[in-house]
Amino acid sequence: MNLLVVTLIVLGLIFFFGGVVGLLRFPDFYTRMHAAGKADTLSTILILGGFIVYNFAEGGDAASWNVLVKIAFIALFIMLTSPTSTHALMQAGFESGIEPEIDDDESESTQEKKGRDS
Amino acid sequence: MMKKLAGIVVFMVGLLLFYGVSNVDDFPGWGDPDSPANASPLSQYFITDTIKDSEVPNMVTAVLADYRGYDTMFETVVIFIAGIAIFAVVRVSRNNSPVCGGNKDDEPDLIITTTCRLLVPVIQIFALYVLAHGHSSPGGGFQGGVIMGASFILVAVAWDLDTALGRFSEKAAIACAGLGIIIYAGFGLASMFYGEEFLNYGITHKLLPGVESPEMARYYGMLGVEVGVMFTVTSVMFLIYGLLSTRGRMSGGL
Repeated sequence: MNLLVVTLIVLGLIFFFGGVVGLLRFPDFYTRMHAAGKADTLSTILILGGFIVYNFAEGGDAASWNVLVKIAFIALFIMLTSPTSTHALMQAGFESGIEPEIDDDESESTQEKKGRDS
Repeated sequence: MMKKLAGIVVFMVGLLLFYGVSNVDDFPGWGDPDSPANASPLSQYFITDTIKDSEVPNMVTAVLADYRGYDTMFETVVIFIAGIAIFAVVRVSRNNSPVCGGNKDDEPDLIITTTCRLLVPVIQIFALYVLAHGHSSPGGGFQGGVIMGASFILVAVAWDLDTALGRFSEKAAIACAGLGIIIYAGFGLASMFYGEEFLNYGITHKLLPGVESPEMARYYGMLGVEVGVMFTVTSVMFLIYGLLSTRGRMSGGL
C-alpha cells in the first residue's frame, strides 16, 4: 500500500518537474503555458490520488470516505479550472499580440510584442 | 542615482529589521507556557469555559463574535467605510467621463464562461458553508463573505462588469453593505431591549423561537452577526472591484 502511495506521489513530482523545466526552458509564451498547464493538472491529480490511497492505508472507515470525497472534489475542480485558466492566459496573450515563435531557422527573436491596441 | 539611493534605504531598513528580530531575548520562546499570552487568566478562561458559555466548539469564533463583539462590529464598520470611501473618491458620473478600456463588441470566451457557469454556484454554496460552519471549524463571516464576493468578481471577469451588475446591482451592493451592519447592530439592540448589555446575545433566547437556553442563544446570535458581516464583506468586495477596474464608471470595464 505504501509503495503505491510513494509511486503515485513520485510520479506526480516527476510530472511537476517536467512542467517546471518546460516553463523555464521552452522558447515562447505559448509553449511555456502549454507545459505549465498540462503538467500541473496531471501531477496534482496524481499526488491527490496518492493522498487518497494513503488515507485508506489503515482500512476505510467513515472518516476516510469523508476525506476521499473531499479530495475527489478538489481533483475535479483542479481538472476544471487549471486548463481553463491556461486557456484564458493563452487567449489574453494572443489578443494582446504575442507572436508565437515559429522555427524557420532564420529569426532568433524571442517574444515580439505588437501593441495592437483596439 | 535614485536607484542607488533607494538601494541604500532598503538596505538600512533591512538592517533595522534584522536587528529587531535578532534581539530574541525580548520575545518569549515558542509555546512557552509562562509567556504573557499563555499565562494570562483570560486565555485559560477562553480555553476552558467557551463551550460552557456558548456551546461553540471553535473558541476563536466565540472570542471574535461574542466576547469581543464590539471589536468585530467596528471591524465590519471599517470595511463598510472603506467601500464607501472608495465609492466617494473614485465614482464618476457616466456622462462626462472619458471612455476607457473594454471594447463592447468582444464576445466573452465560450470555454471560460462555461467553466464559470459550472463553478460559480459551487463557490457560492461553499461560501455559505464556510459562513454556517464558522462555529465548529475555521470560517465565519469575513471568509465566507470574501468567497461570495469572489464569485461575483469571477462573473465580472469572465463576462463583463455589466453582466455581474445585472445579477448584483450597484444600488443593491451599497444597500447590502449597510444592511450587514444593521443586522449586526440589530442583534446588539435586540439584547438591549430585554435589559441586557449591547451585544450580549444570551438574553435573546426569549426572542428567538425554538431556543431554550442562553447558551444556544449565544450560538445563534453569533451566527446572526456573522451573516451580517458576510453581507457587508460580500458587497464591499464586489463594489471595490467594480469601481477600481472601471475607474469609477461602473460599466464596461476590463
